[in-house]
Amino acid sequence: MIEHGSGAKAESGAKAAAAASDAADDNILVVRNLHVSYATRSGSVAAVRGISFVVPRGKIVAIVGESGSGKSTTSQALIRRLASGGRIDSGSIEFEGRDLGPMSERELRSIRGGRIGFVPQDPSKSLNPLMRVGDQIAEALRLHLKLDKAAAAAEAVRILDEVGLPDPDARATQFPHELSGGMRQRVLIGIAWACNPQLVIADEPTSALDVTVQRHVLDNIDELVRRHNTSVVLVTHDLAVAADRADYVAVMSNGEIVEQGTTEQVLSAPTHEYTKKLVQSAPGLASRRLTPSVTALGEQQQSSAGKLFTRTRPAQPAGVATASGVATVAANSGADAAPAANILEVENLVKTFALRRQGGGSQVLRAVDDVSFVVPRGSTFSIVGESGSGKTTTARIAARIASADSGTVSFDGTDVTSLSGEALRQLRRRVQVVYQNPFGSLDPKMSIEKIIAEPLRAFGVGDRAHRAEVARELLEHVSLSPSLAQRRPTELSGGQRQRVAIARSLAIGPELIVLDEPVSALDVSVQEQILQLLVDLQVQFGLSYLFISHDLGVIRQISDHIAVMRSGTVLESGTAREVLSNPQHEYTRELLAAIPGQRAK
Amino acid sequence: MTNLRKPGFVLGLIIIAVAIVASLAPQLLATHDPFESVATDRLLPPSAQYLFGTDNLGRDLYSRVIYGAALSLLSASLAVVVGVVVGAVVGLISGFVGGRTDFIIMRFVDVLIAVPGVLLALIVVASLGFGPLSLALGVGLGAAGSFARVMRSQVIRIRSEEYVEAARTLGVRAPAILVQHVLPNAARPVIAMAALELGTAILSVSALTFLGFGAPPPAPEWGALVSAGRDYVATNPGLSIIPGAVILVVVLAVNRVARAIGGDE
Amino acid sequence: MTQVKAWAGYLLPKLGQFLFVVVATYTLVFVLVHFLPGDPLIAALAAKGGASTVIDPAELDALRVQYGLDGTLWQQYFGHLIAAAQGDLGISIATGVPVTEMIGRAFPFSVQIASLALLFGVTSAVLITFLAYAAPWPWLRQLLLQIPPFGIAVPAFLSGLLLISVFAFTLGWLPSAGARSFDAAILPAITLALPVGALFFQVFSSAVLEAQNSPYVFTAVAKGVPPRRIFTKHLLRNALLPSITILGLLIGYLAGGTAVVETVFSRDGIGRMTVNAVLARDINVIQGVVLVVGAIYALVNLLVDVAYGFIDPRTRIGGGVPSRARLGAKK
Repeated sequence: MIEHGSGAKAESGAKAAAAASDAADDNILVVRNLHVSYATRSGSVAAVRGISFVVPRGKIVAIVGESGSGKSTTSQALIRRLASGGRIDSGSIEFEGRDLGPMSERELRSIRGGRIGFVPQDPSKSLNPLMRVGDQIAEALRLHLKLDKAAAAAEAVRILDEVGLPDPDARATQFPHELSGGMRQRVLIGIAWACNPQLVIADEPTSALDVTVQRHVLDNIDELVRRHNTSVVLVTHDLAVAADRADYVAVMSNGEIVEQGTTEQVLSAPTHEYTKKLVQSAPGLASRRLTPSVTALGEQQQSSAGKLFTRTRPAQPAGVATASGVATVAANSGADAAPAANILEVENLVKTFALRRQGGGSQVLRAVDDVSFVVPRGSTFSIVGESGSGKTTTARIAARIASADSGTVSFDGTDVTSLSGEALRQLRRRVQVVYQNPFGSLDPKMSIEKIIAEPLRAFGVGDRAHRAEVARELLEHVSLSPSLAQRRPTELSGGQRQRVAIARSLAIGPELIVLDEPVSALDVSVQEQILQLLVDLQVQFGLSYLFISHDLGVIRQISDHIAVMRSGTVLESGTAREVLSNPQHEYTRELLAAIPGQRAK
Repeated sequence: MTNLRKPGFVLGLIIIAVAIVASLAPQLLATHDPFESVATDRLLPPSAQYLFGTDNLGRDLYSRVIYGAALSLLSASLAVVVGVVVGAVVGLISGFVGGRTDFIIMRFVDVLIAVPGVLLALIVVASLGFGPLSLALGVGLGAAGSFARVMRSQVIRIRSEEYVEAARTLGVRAPAILVQHVLPNAARPVIAMAALELGTAILSVSALTFLGFGAPPPAPEWGALVSAGRDYVATNPGLSIIPGAVILVVVLAVNRVARAIGGDE
Repeated sequence: MTQVKAWAGYLLPKLGQFLFVVVATYTLVFVLVHFLPGDPLIAALAAKGGASTVIDPAELDALRVQYGLDGTLWQQYFGHLIAAAQGDLGISIATGVPVTEMIGRAFPFSVQIASLALLFGVTSAVLITFLAYAAPWPWLRQLLLQIPPFGIAVPAFLSGLLLISVFAFTLGWLPSAGARSFDAAILPAITLALPVGALFFQVFSSAVLEAQNSPYVFTAVAKGVPPRRIFTKHLLRNALLPSITILGLLIGYLAGGTAVVETVFSRDGIGRMTVNAVLARDINVIQGVVLVVGAIYALVNLLVDVAYGFIDPRTRIGGGVPSRARLGAKK
């Protein structure tokens, strides 16, 4: 691996080439000054801009980058199969000493699948739904190894066994929909390794999987690499995964490799600004509880800034007059007057779904099974769990979006379990929700200003001019330029959209915000900014958070209390420190162990 | 509008504009009286004097086509209005209310769709009598079913969008959600479908007038013109093929513009 | 045993749906005929004998009984429904022949061209899609993809007349009219195939396009599978599956299309019979035809549903592991 920055590309490309010819036998793949662009309606867009790197025989090279960095385009270019409109403009891709660029499609086909395997990103869609998984492996065997039908079928079963599928004989005859995501990814790994290739390109092989599954799948890849002495290009957005698994790391940004070297070099002594930022913000690697970078707005400030804030209650449990003018003098200690210590109390929630089985009949899925917890005022309570754990359903019930079969939800000491109609709508003034997908939760037809002001309009707060002013002020609070007010959501980046969603949730002055995976759709460097913003806003406005995430790295950065869920039940809960440094339940320990980035420590 | 840079779209717009002028003010485009027979000029081929030639009674085919636009296009437009109003309202209610109401309404819509549009139009025409109005009603009713289905699926799609749920959790009331989120987002596909439906309606109306269910003979409806020229197809094929081609061109233009509205390309 | 139960659980609702559509179609037609203004019998008699026909009331009542148009609306509704269930669709007002007999006679002619048209339409749609998929030049692909929108916009009477003037009158290869020989069925079938094929193409080609951009096709390419095998093994089946659901819709199109095509080619058949019935305002015949077409449509949909249950492993009945495992994948 040769280290060089993005500077003089031609020169560094030449250097790479020189070094490559020095050790030609040792490098299975040599990429020189590769340029890839996509033809779009508004002209050609460069996706990869002059990258050079080598893959030494038997080593794992990770290409790390955020969305739009060109890492996936690179992986596709390596087998010369780009998405439509894509083309390789210049540069060379030498595989075992031969340039793939000028090769005919026919020649390429013998290399693809035969000598270069490919593990794609999304296991749920990357297998043909109408073909048995055994046949899908056998297809590669018959094409490249010219096995006959029976031999290919037998070999496919052996491969399924090798990639760790239990009961491979039966699995081979199943269709993809009958397998779990992790099993499907194992099948795809089996296809990639079926013909014993010299090189495997793995494009985000585990980013669609749960963290514990991810670990097993990556272990499986490690094992195959060792056994077959395969070289691997591992494309990932997750620096921690690269740190754990790769021998060399190349960091991509904006279509260029900004830094490359051995994993140790890059992670311990990053030289490029971007790498430093990436290393710093990767949640698995070095996360600690974020501390607020601002202080609380004083009451004075709050009411001056807060011609906007239509608070109905004080943010902090202080004995002051509220904006709505209800005096809460200490002596006047009615249940309503003194705010409860816990903003939210959830008791014995149960929610079941009837699963329709194929061919009639049904079984009951207990999505939430006797879940109880409390959210202390002004703090962050997090629920962590993998897919199917019931964490999202729990949050939806707590936010009164969904209703429970049984159990109670109390907000600020009042039972709100069965509120409906106008009473429920009024609860929205005090409880707001921020969703996972900032591309889905904002109406594409509305301007940013209208989106942020929507809650105000719904509750008839102020006139149009006032609401516009509030929207602008809120934009500043979430560190966005008020000049964005007239834009549409489609013109904003994912991080900006999520800031808008947060601003909208603040508009009506809620006390509790339910955050459902608010950063999991975002790039890591953006993730941290959003988490920091949430921590700051919490102090400024005295907010309480119910935070849902699958990512313990993220959870660690924001939580005061943590509950770990699996299969609808809370396995363990406590303060963040207790759960993270002294986990009591086996599953929690497993989750913690599965967080990538262990090796870096 | 990037569409304006595409030649196909612009050509489509021009053709539609000409068709609209022909429907509203045919005298601006016609060169002859569409009903006047010149006994000496029967079955003439197209020429500078008679752009499309003349028919068996010596009438100018071009002017008859121009004057026919009003009848053919207006009943097609009326059919679309009937289809959109009935279908969109039914679909909107069905999709937005959901539950049992939705189930019952959609079973009726299933039936409207089960009967082919042409047959449905034929029943209406047979019951109400022949003429442009009953054609429009029949064709419109035939289209209402699929309209309702499209509208409903749009509403359901939008209703399941996260921004609609988000609006609900923001405290926005249901009618406001319908007006502020669902309708604006459903409008474009429904308008595009209405435009596409206009093309289909022109075809259906001209097919029915071809079969003789439109206004009585001297009226120069497009389908009737094709039908009248049929007897001469061996000797003077232009007589029925030219008006037929006019229908084709107008429908192509309408469909092209409709696809552009739908953002298909 | 569980297999039987699974099948019953799958089929019974669909069978119910089939019956519902047939009865509801009958109801819709009944409502339209009886609630739109005008007396159907008088209209029919006027069409038969001219506008000035005068009939004495006693004779009219006798005719009402003869054509089943007597009694209260409820009596008529249920009377005709029960009769129809037994295969009796009443008597034609214009010809006096039982409607069932008329339909039975005309049916084979229409089925001949309709099935030919379906065959032509679907195969050429698949063929054009394959050619567009395999086309080495983008302009050729664009050109091929332009054919179907054109096919939808062509009025059937125009394409029919063009075919007649070229193949019958100019070249003299095929007859322009009649229904006696197989040759005579070719031109009408092509005419009918045009819109049907175009409609099928729209659904099929967009399904292929979607499948083409799908990750599983990428996997196949990365495996080194050659393009033709990708089309047949990976694209075709995945794209045909959603496409067969519009088969019912195509049947409706065909039924409507026969009216024009059979008139253009002066062929006997359901379509022409219906047109003549409308011209004669013969409501009994129209009702019978619509009921039969609605029943065929519902039957085709029923068959498609059942076929789907067989073909698609994701909806296959019985067998297989009811997979809770699916919940394991994150998205």
